[in-house]
Amino acid sequence: MITQLKKLLTVGALALGASFGTAHAAETVKVGILHSLSGTMAISETSLRDVLLFTFDEINAKGGVLGKKIEPVVVDGASNWPLFAEKAKQLLEQDKVAVTFGCWTSVSRKSVLPVYEKNNGLLFYPVQYEGEEESQNVAYTAEAVNQQATPAVDYYLAEGKKKFYLLGTDYVYPQTTNLVLLEYLLSKGVKLENIGGGFKKDESGKIIAAGKYTPFSHTDYQQIIAEIKQFAASGDACVISTLNGDTNVPFFKEYAAAGLTAEKCPVVSFSISEDEFRGLPAKQLVGQLGCWTYFQSINTPANKKFVADFQAWLKTTKAPGVVKEGRVTCSPMVLSYVGVYLWKAAVEKAGSFDVDKVRAAYKTGLSFDGPGGKVTTQKNMHVTKNVFIGETKADGQFKIVKSFDNVYGEPWLKGKFK
Amino acid sequence: MNFFHRARRLLALAALSLGLVSHAADSARPIIAKAALAETPAQRITLISSLIGSGDESIAPLLAAWKEDALFVFTAPDGTKIPVQLSGDKDNKDAQAAVRIDNGQPLHFVAAGPALRLVASELAAVEHTSALRRAMKAVLDLLDLSTPDLKKRISAIQTLGFAQDAEKLAALQARQKIETAPAAQLALREAIALIGLKDASTDVKLASLKELAALHTIGSADALKAALKDAEAANHPSLAAAARLALNAVDRHLTTVNFFGTLFRGLSLGSILLVVALGLAITFGLMGVINMAHGEMIAVGAYTTYVVQNIFGPGLALSPFGFSFHLPGLNTSGWLYESYFIFALPLSFLSAALVGIAMERTVIQWLYRRPLESLLATWGVSLFLQQFFRRVFGSNNVQVSSPSYLSDNWTFNDIIFGWNRVFVIGFAGLIVLGVWLVLTRTSLGLLIRAVMQNRNMASCMGVRTERVNMLTFGLGSGLAGLAGAFLSQIGNVGPSLGQSYIVDCFMTVVVGGVGNLPGTVVSAFGIGLADQSLQQILLNPVLGKITVLVAIILFLQWRPAGIFVTKSRSLEG
Amino acid sequence: MSAPTTRRLEFIAVAFIAVLLIVVFPLLNSYGIISNFTLNLWGKYLCYALLAISVDLLWGYTGLLSLGQALFFSLGGYMLGMHLMRMIGDLGQYKKPIPDFLIFLGWTELPTFWKPFSSFPFAAAMVLLLPGLVALVFGFLAFRSRIKGVYFSILTQALTYGGSLMFFRNDLLMGGNNGFTDYKFLLSADVRDASTQRALFIATALTLVLVYLSCSWLSRTKLGLIQRAIRDGENRVLFSGYAAAGFKLFIFVVAALIASVGGALYVPQVGIINPSEMTPDKSLEAVVWVAVGGRGTLVGPVIGAIVVNALKSWATRAYPDLWLFFLGGMFIVVVLLLPGGIVSIPGRLKTWWAHRTAASAETATPVAS
Repeated sequence: MITQLKKLLTVGALALGASFGTAHAAETVKVGILHSLSGTMAISETSLRDVLLFTFDEINAKGGVLGKKIEPVVVDGASNWPLFAEKAKQLLEQDKVAVTFGCWTSVSRKSVLPVYEKNNGLLFYPVQYEGEEESQNVAYTAEAVNQQATPAVDYYLAEGKKKFYLLGTDYVYPQTTNLVLLEYLLSKGVKLENIGGGFKKDESGKIIAAGKYTPFSHTDYQQIIAEIKQFAASGDACVISTLNGDTNVPFFKEYAAAGLTAEKCPVVSFSISEDEFRGLPAKQLVGQLGCWTYFQSINTPANKKFVADFQAWLKTTKAPGVVKEGRVTCSPMVLSYVGVYLWKAAVEKAGSFDVDKVRAAYKTGLSFDGPGGKVTTQKNMHVTKNVFIGETKADGQFKIVKSFDNVYGEPWLKGKFK
Repeated sequence: MNFFHRARRLLALAALSLGLVSHAADSARPIIAKAALAETPAQRITLISSLIGSGDESIAPLLAAWKEDALFVFTAPDGTKIPVQLSGDKDNKDAQAAVRIDNGQPLHFVAAGPALRLVASELAAVEHTSALRRAMKAVLDLLDLSTPDLKKRISAIQTLGFAQDAEKLAALQARQKIETAPAAQLALREAIALIGLKDASTDVKLASLKELAALHTIGSADALKAALKDAEAANHPSLAAAARLALNAVDRHLTTVNFFGTLFRGLSLGSILLVVALGLAITFGLMGVINMAHGEMIAVGAYTTYVVQNIFGPGLALSPFGFSFHLPGLNTSGWLYESYFIFALPLSFLSAALVGIAMERTVIQWLYRRPLESLLATWGVSLFLQQFFRRVFGSNNVQVSSPSYLSDNWTFNDIIFGWNRVFVIGFAGLIVLGVWLVLTRTSLGLLIRAVMQNRNMASCMGVRTERVNMLTFGLGSGLAGLAGAFLSQIGNVGPSLGQSYIVDCFMTVVVGGVGNLPGTVVSAFGIGLADQSLQQILLNPVLGKITVLVAIILFLQWRPAGIFVTKSRSLEG
Repeated sequence: MSAPTTRRLEFIAVAFIAVLLIVVFPLLNSYGIISNFTLNLWGKYLCYALLAISVDLLWGYTGLLSLGQALFFSLGGYMLGMHLMRMIGDLGQYKKPIPDFLIFLGWTELPTFWKPFSSFPFAAAMVLLLPGLVALVFGFLAFRSRIKGVYFSILTQALTYGGSLMFFRNDLLMGGNNGFTDYKFLLSADVRDASTQRALFIATALTLVLVYLSCSWLSRTKLGLIQRAIRDGENRVLFSGYAAAGFKLFIFVVAALIASVGGALYVPQVGIINPSEMTPDKSLEAVVWVAVGGRGTLVGPVIGAIVVNALKSWATRAYPDLWLFFLGGMFIVVVLLLPGGIVSIPGRLKTWWAHRTAASAETATPVAS
């Protein structure tokens, strides 16, 4: 027993000793990368780590930020939300990073948010999200609901669609998006009985939730597909899908197998970008829609250069764990990339890495011409950017069918369309 | 400069001499060309609408091109305006081949000269307004009415019906006279009745409602509801009653469809559960190993299918752990490519069985007497394998496309029978039969049963228990691999594929009664049917699943050893 | 060494560690020698240690491998979390007096079952009552029909899985996938303050020491004896006239309470509770801590929880790509080569030293299956 306890003591002392602060060199600036590299979310987030490392190398090759080279501190959130908070604390309190790029899911952002607010850190968040949040410690380069969902509905309405089926994974982003969409559709004169997926009402009969929800990693979509087929039987119907990444495969395979096509009843998905597309049956998705603020197929010199540079970087990089084959670029990746440059611009304008000064500079409407066109920062920590609607092609790319220029990022949308 | 004008005349002459112009005069091309040059949108709409009823094959692509801004007006140096279509690939000057709309010939300066290539951005695209697009759609809708493609034709008929536009009635009735396909006839009756709902006369309305009641199609529900509302608003009891009758007929039909649909979906879900759990019924049920890496064996099978698919296709480049290598591809296509799945099935079995045997040799063989610890060690293996998949195939899901013979459906009376689902039901039946034959009709099966019943006794009788253990575990893992091959056709193939099924697998085996294959079959179908029925009733997939879990927990209170109890005189059972 | 000497030495050691954790670490922290981050991290480990003890009480001492402990841990966390959510007041994103997620779900007033959670004593009582009740009902049903061994593991796994599915649903009005975050106050102290975190650390350490001592006392009572007898041969216990089910139920509820208290202490320290804490995986992880530390002892789970989590904290930073290989590999190695866990290493070394023969490596510490 005694020896066992001794063991405990030594282990404790060692672990404590090991976790004391570390020294850092003066000619570099530490920048945190906080993404899941293992666990369920690794599927999406690993690509963001890769593009961030690429961006840092690109900036470092041109002399860094304020003459300092960026030193990335990569940590793994492991798709574990308390671990995200722990890692955020580590980045801010121990590594003392100047800025962090990270998070994908809403819950990971919500988990680290108090940490960033407490330590006055700065987090750049690059993935489409539900809005209803405006922290001074988060720079949302992400698409707000009005930069993705409402433009898609506008497109459908112009196409003469009359019936809308709302489907999503049961978490905060789809729930909020669908509520906003419900208000938006009703404001556009779509009848309530033409909105499918079901509603939930409170005691007073007010609708508090709209749409059909499935859990994460749901695998069986037979019943829902049968319901959609009946819903679409009277024509002019479409599906608005906020299904999360990996449930899209069973959904679309079942969709195609039930004989539903993009001509009969198109699906617009807000969570399928080129990157997710790599795991999807492209042949069965042809003609379905996506809506993002960037597509790899954007035909501009800036984008072509970005794509080529990224591919070239992949060939030569020695960073561990980077998959080199079959890589694509997608909106969250570009928003991560753009975020780094916007941060750089803010730092250079502020002449300092101090978070308060950087934030003040960030809010002054900085612009960056990114691969997806011009992106401008706003006072509310969101960004104005272009929105594109694309049709999926068999090669996993999108054909852009419509674009909206300079859409203002508005996080507070509920109750806007009444 | 007048040479272009001359060139046109020359061209026209050349065309005349070839007898093309006379053909062109009958076709839709000149009309569309004229519409493209028309001054006002109204003129355009009139011209385009005049195409209704024409069956010309050039209409569809031209109008589609128009909508996509690919029609341009080329202004010749003499001021003549020629509508052209740009098509083909862009060359290094961004120019494309130009085709004249009025006759479909390449645009030339001189008859014998080279075809002109034009740059889209230097030309004015022919404009289109939403009203014009609607007119085009009307033309196209009616165009499809006479297409030989049955599916397309029915879809066109339905579109016209749902639009409830009285103007289209004539075209539909004309078609009804010559239509021979029964399915299209039904669609025509529905469409005509739907349009009839909007008719001014009450008699026509009543007749239409009667017809719709007889047809009771799901698609007519919306229109019927609207008709009922109108009738009630107009205070017209006989119409309202007829509408209600028709709606009831549709509802009854829906109930039937949903009932049989649920039954089929339950069977197919049950088959999937059976397929994924059968391997576990052997490794866990017979051998007593709590194999938490069972899910990863499924993933091995699915990844094998992915690799086989790529070998049949363009090959596969992988870079695990810093090494890069390229699996050569056979570059097959057509049915040969689609047959990849047939080859993938046995290979998935083999690869998963090999991984299983390797696992048995390295880890599990030391743990037969410590079942709870086999749970921990295999969970370690499961984490290990998941990260291994990530390092080899990347964290992303990989793309497995279903062959065409697994990605369509038969629809009888509105009940969808997906081919993949029908396949899995048959597949489940086959492998259950196979496993049963192996266990009861082969000497290996005899040895397996002997060793599983009493390892020591079998060993005393000279059975090489180690070898039997290894093969049994290999068989169980191989079955998981087969399940993976099938799952790749309906769901994700990714590192955490197995995780989605592991709890379901254990539930199925435990409910059926551990060590009892028929029990696993019954429990798989029971759980599948219960799950789908609850989903249909509660209209909520999660609640259905939770209810099933609660039901399982309660069921096991009642029958702790599952549906079928393996009789044993041993106290510890 | 005679039993009383061992016990005295154990007491001295526990007292020493208790003083270290409860007095020395927090003091060092307030002087800035131990960073807030490190202290907070250790607070988290100690909560995990409580969870690990609850697993060990069932598995190591009673032979019941429960994969449902993560459920009780999270339930405890959720109960306190509800209070913490109420204490945010109107400082949320919407500046309304009810939690943000309720507003986003369309509620304008607090649902009835949320109301009492404004009171800390009520929430604290619920931390014990709800998980206790769930454990009581489930345990009663399971033990009555004599579900044991593997079946018990799989059923508890299903219980946790069902629980997580339920809590993932937004309709439950418990925050759905996002769970509860962004806490502001606990007992009118700012949760994010270093001093509050220090107090929470002290509370956790104190709880751990108390739980350790009570479990150690429990294992020396007759009940502890019956507990181990059930583990080693339940039928013999039954035939000797003991109602094994009652004893098992008692232990199951006690273990649930320990896990639940651990969860309640965990939530304000990590700042989030969400249903992914409830998944069967988390239960399995806790089982692995126990296996790594050494089951059937009380020190083992504590060591295991700290070592595995410290390794995880370090490896997710140092080798983000490879740490799952470490983790997976470690479980396999421990189960195969070191069934007694870390605490058995000194004993093994001693035997090895004494015999200096290869054969001694085979005589592992006896473990129940």
